[in-house]
Amino acid sequence: MVLKVFRWAPDDGERFQEYDVPVAEGTTVLDALVDAQRRLDPTLAFRYACRVGMCGSCAMVINGRERWACRTLVGRLGRGPVTVRPLYHFPLIRDLVVDMSPFREKMTSVGAAFVPADGPARFAPIGRDSRERRRIDPAIECIGCGMCVSACTMVGHDARFAGPAAYNRVFSLQEDSRDAAHEDRQARLLSEDALVRCHGQANCTAVCPMQISPTESILALRRGAARRLFT
Amino acid sequence: MSEPRVLKRQLLGAESWRDTKLGMWAWLLGRAAAVLLVIVIVLHVRNPTIRPVRATLLSLVLLHGLLGVRALLLDFGLPVRWHRALMIGAIALGALLFAGAWEWRWF
Repeated sequence: MVLKVFRWAPDDGERFQEYDVPVAEGTTVLDALVDAQRRLDPTLAFRYACRVGMCGSCAMVINGRERWACRTLVGRLGRGPVTVRPLYHFPLIRDLVVDMSPFREKMTSVGAAFVPADGPARFAPIGRDSRERRRIDPAIECIGCGMCVSACTMVGHDARFAGPAAYNRVFSLQEDSRDAAHEDRQARLLSEDALVRCHGQANCTAVCPMQISPTESILALRRGAARRLFT
Repeated sequence: MSEPRVLKRQLLGAESWRDTKLGMWAWLLGRAAAVLLVIVIVLHVRNPTIRPVRATLLSLVLLHGLLGVRALLLDFGLPVRWHRALMIGAIALGALLFAGAWEWRWF
């Protein structure tokens, strides 16, 4: 199988480099990359950690779609060379490795961090079957792999738009009765580069390996903002 | 220090379109229909008797309108997991309405 890998380094032009790697049943794209690096080209740079689809650090664009390399079987990608690129919308560090710091910065820019309510810490009386729990639960499994940010065309269009993961996190916080920053975030949500920037294309939802729907979260935030205007 | 290199999907790059999702197609179709509508409306106003223009106008209105209804339904709380079915439904309903209008020689 031919692996076509995006290569880039500071002060060096970008190009695609092809590696011929053997494939067996069950070979993943990450296996192929590791093989290419160890056997053919030790300068090839890519990031991975757990290898079993838990950490999300091997997120990259494989045959045009954001995927985790460790969970992508080469045999299921069809015929022809397998093209591997780094995630879109993140600064390149080298080859397939991107700088994830914008992901954290976008989270910070929209206040996507828990702010505890004043007063002594108290046990949160939020039942497992409560409406609050049921609304928040589908949105909390994000592991920060960045694939939704890469897939979102609006992040590419407007660098100030915080993107799917940040607003998904904001949704879970705005729904959380223990959080004390709802009003602060609300003003930011109504700004020009916030909720209105999402066009509901659902690319983020399509690629999320945790089956989270940031689109659903953003639409719910919009409905909440609209309700506030009339109450 | 130089600007960091950030990759974006290129409009004319084949790789960018290789895995375009259905939700993206729905948005693109809606936008393309809107742009074409501006042109076809002008043609229609100049001469409202040209049947191919009337047929094109009707098909674009149906496509743009029904995809807009799809977006509204999602905005108003229909689950996002239905967005593919809603797109297929919008296009199918549009085709049905167009076929009905064609059959009845409405235009």
